[in-house]
Amino acid sequence: MKNIISIAKNTFRETIRDKILYGILAFAFLFLGMTIFFGSISLGEDIKVVKDFGLAGIYIFSVIIAIFLGTSLVYKEIEKKTLYIIFSKPVKIYEFIVGKFFGLWISVTLNVLLMTIVYFIIVKIKGGGFDLISLYAILLLIFELAIFVAVTILFSSVTTPLAGAIFAIIILYIGHSLATIKQYAIKSGQFMRIVIDGAYYIFPNLEKFNLRNSVVHEVSPSSGQIIYPILYSILYVVILLWASSLAIKKQDL
Amino acid sequence: MLKIKNLTKEYGKTKVVDNLSLDVKEGVMFGFLGPNGAGKTTTMKMILGLTDYDKGSIKIDDSDSKSIKVKERIGYMPEDPYFYDHLSALEFMNFMASLFSKEQSALDNNTLLNEVGLDKVAKKKIGHFSKGMKQRLGLAQALVNDPEYLFLDEPLDGLDPIGRREFKQILLKLKKKGKTIFFNSHILSDVEEICDQIGIINKGKLIYSGPVKKFRGNKSLEDAFVEKLT
Repeated sequence: MKNIISIAKNTFRETIRDKILYGILAFAFLFLGMTIFFGSISLGEDIKVVKDFGLAGIYIFSVIIAIFLGTSLVYKEIEKKTLYIIFSKPVKIYEFIVGKFFGLWISVTLNVLLMTIVYFIIVKIKGGGFDLISLYAILLLIFELAIFVAVTILFSSVTTPLAGAIFAIIILYIGHSLATIKQYAIKSGQFMRIVIDGAYYIFPNLEKFNLRNSVVHEVSPSSGQIIYPILYSILYVVILLWASSLAIKKQDL
Repeated sequence: MLKIKNLTKEYGKTKVVDNLSLDVKEGVMFGFLGPNGAGKTTTMKMILGLTDYDKGSIKIDDSDSKSIKVKERIGYMPEDPYFYDHLSALEFMNFMASLFSKEQSALDNNTLLNEVGLDKVAKKKIGHFSKGMKQRLGLAQALVNDPEYLFLDEPLDGLDPIGRREFKQILLKLKKKGKTIFFNSHILSDVEEICDQIGIINKGKLIYSGPVKKFRGNKSLEDAFVEKLT
């Protein structure tokens, strides 16, 4: 546990000192600021538009941060051979991977929280108040990002940052389209149905974490809508981190 | 004692290390020599558990060299080391120390940085370090747990003459403290100067292991080495 905390702390420090993060964050704040303008040009739906664009902005920019930081995280260590130094010390592979995951996830979460503060300030400026549903949406977003961070760590253990980023975006796209894919499976032939069904259960269903519509329409989610995706996220993260550890173990450093 | 027995490593059909057996006693400064691609770094990586081997065994004081128990007692400095650019030297040392069960204090890490001549740049980011400074930091991090066994891959590479002399003095000081030092090197004059024993590997096979003096006889180590390999 001590090693996981040490590696997580080091990863957190490494990621928050990355200049690219501040560039992305600046764009995110700019986008969130512009939601005031988007709200103004809507027809009396200011708050709804601000919330809709604001939460979408937080989501998009946090995914961009996770991709930029995550896809090079382990790859860099393999390429530059810092892994030699780490694994010559009493560190197990899983401790390294789990430490990397928590370091990056905490870093991404911190950025989400900063964007959330800006979001609530903008909602307040537009005459809205604090709402719990937005907070639930942010909570689920953080757990969706946990899966996404674990996906980027897996790809960065086996491939280059560019390929990892492309694969991660594909997973993100599929993860949000699984309901459509399932519909397609129903209409397909036997073989295609098996293939699509397989994909449906292998890929993470990221739509489970999407509460943005509930926020806009002010519909409170049930406790199951919150707890179930969190458990789902934990399960997926465990599987992905296990696969990442296995990928490192299989490599001849 | 480091005991390597019948160690074999193959990449496809090529044997990069071929049935290598070697003993290194405690307190010895051991130079592991060989031409480029002879299998020196691969052997060191296998000792440290960074690479798997196909056959044989590697024990340090009767325990598997890959075990966590052994890793608590060894230090390793890779060839041409690279570190985390965003960290300062002291932050990096503290991070390395935190990976051991007995963690050194920041004060001790400062002392170590002082010993390798990096005390004045302890708070400077590693990204701004020269190759020689990184080499020194590589040695400092290898000493962070006060190891009994020290494995150094080309430790004198990339250092200027003053740096090399300082490095050799540090290594001799460590030997006096009873540390076992195993290092790979191309610089035969340095090996001749500071090592008690050498091992010579060529095309994966160990062709000599024993005292330096016995190997070179009346010749210089370089002459004896070239003669043996040609």
